[in-house]
Amino acid sequence: MLKEFKIGNDSYSIPADRHYGRENHMWAMFDTTNGQVLVGIDALGLTALGDLAYVTLQPAGTSVHSGKAFGTLEAAKMTGDLFAPISGTIVSRNDNAVRNPSLVNQDPYAAGWLISILPSDWQNESAQLVSGSDLPVWVETELERYRQQGWID
Amino acid sequence: MDWRLITDDGVSASFGLSADEVMAERVGAGVSVPTLRLYTYRSYCALVGRFQNIKNELRIDFCHENHIPINRRPTGGGAIIMGEDQLGIALSMPAQEGDTYSRAREIMTLFSDGIVRGLKSLGVDAHFHRKNDIVVNGKKIVGLGIHRAPSNGLLFHASVLVDLDVPFMLRVLNTPFEKISDKEIATITERITNVRRETNSRVTLDEVRKIIAREYETSLNIHLVPGDFTPEERQDIDRLEKEKYLSDDWIYQTSSIEDTYGGSKIKTPVGLIDVRVSMAGAMIKAAFIGGDFFASEAAVADLEGALKWHSGQPEKVAAALEEVYMRRREEFNSLPLEFIVQAVQKAVVRALALEILEDGGPHSQEVNAGEKHD
Repeated sequence: MLKEFKIGNDSYSIPADRHYGRENHMWAMFDTTNGQVLVGIDALGLTALGDLAYVTLQPAGTSVHSGKAFGTLEAAKMTGDLFAPISGTIVSRNDNAVRNPSLVNQDPYAAGWLISILPSDWQNESAQLVSGSDLPVWVETELERYRQQGWID
Repeated sequence: MDWRLITDDGVSASFGLSADEVMAERVGAGVSVPTLRLYTYRSYCALVGRFQNIKNELRIDFCHENHIPINRRPTGGGAIIMGEDQLGIALSMPAQEGDTYSRAREIMTLFSDGIVRGLKSLGVDAHFHRKNDIVVNGKKIVGLGIHRAPSNGLLFHASVLVDLDVPFMLRVLNTPFEKISDKEIATITERITNVRRETNSRVTLDEVRKIIAREYETSLNIHLVPGDFTPEERQDIDRLEKEKYLSDDWIYQTSSIEDTYGGSKIKTPVGLIDVRVSMAGAMIKAAFIGGDFFASEAAVADLEGALKWHSGQPEKVAAALEEVYMRRREEFNSLPLEFIVQAVQKAVVRALALEILEDGGPHSQEVNAGEKHD
């Protein structure tokens, strides 16, 4: 399910089994076994951010809203919020990522996940995210923008 | 396009930071105009980065004894001292729609340009460094940070060292040194620089401020209109100052990432390499590379700068060091790159081992805490 996009010597993995926020580069993966959605940052978002120095995450039980903050981060001396791709209630957070944010850079789609959400409106909100056959065009457009900015070769 | 220019001097740490955060929030929300603030703090205050642990960054007792206010910036980066000889810059503007992280990175370069141009017009050969500092021949002269407000406002923070009392700074900040001797002071003095030193003049902070304002107008293609905070803004600043920047909960909050220190000494055919690193988790916060080998101080400062806020992963450490080394090879006077890499990697490994020790992890018994500085 891994979709690789190659630019020069670098490749960017965008797994095709999840949905992506166009603006915030958060990924969301629905788990049909428990109805929860796992959330993390995609490879393109991490390329723009650089190595994460610090991450904080709201605790389980917190309500989150699509486009609103569920945590904070620092990377390359930039601080800011982490934005939820969908609404719902946080079921769990990845304390390993909080203790060791480099996990997010090293393994963004597995060990570097951030929070698990019980979604309140997955069907409608996921339709606003990028997924499936729309992925290649979106990724190529983003890569071209990154290249123009000089962040990638 | 018109932007507002606010100049104020001798502000308190809590007011200064509160004003910057409020402006970013309000500009992002569209209720205040984009603003460039060029200001100074009352000498002195100590400001740590957004997520830093104060006890690790500052000599708290010294600060208290000497009535030096301590506070926490909304922006990232390391601990600094601010006073009448350090020009604070706060630029508040709305973030571009539809782009969360990358726009912030873009404006770090864009907003540095006014400062770089200003320094150049003073005769200082300053450059934006990709590790988010402005440097002169590898030596830091301006520190930078950025904060993205929840309202979609962006705050660009910079501190321009018009002058710097290094011995005083070393009494305020915690350093990887066990003691601060004349040798350490001399070394640090060679690794950091300031406008007066580079221009060999007594240029005033106000002159620097005026030149930077003028260059911002050119680089951002804006017209700066001198002004002040509005009554509504002052109300918001006052509220946030009370709620946040005068609150111990904000100032003394702790991060769940432990800071650790590691050191290594390697004897090479061309001299001893003595490396100390301070780390936040797996990230190198700062590195000191000393010893008795011969190399230009600027080249060594460049190496240290490349490691700042850099991943501690061995291959990333090696790549960062190699990039500087290849660029300035001749300045290292045949000190082989491999020894520098080895010394830094060893120091990082020791720092990470101490982290495991503090976590009570499985390898804790294998590490001697006495190895902190080798």
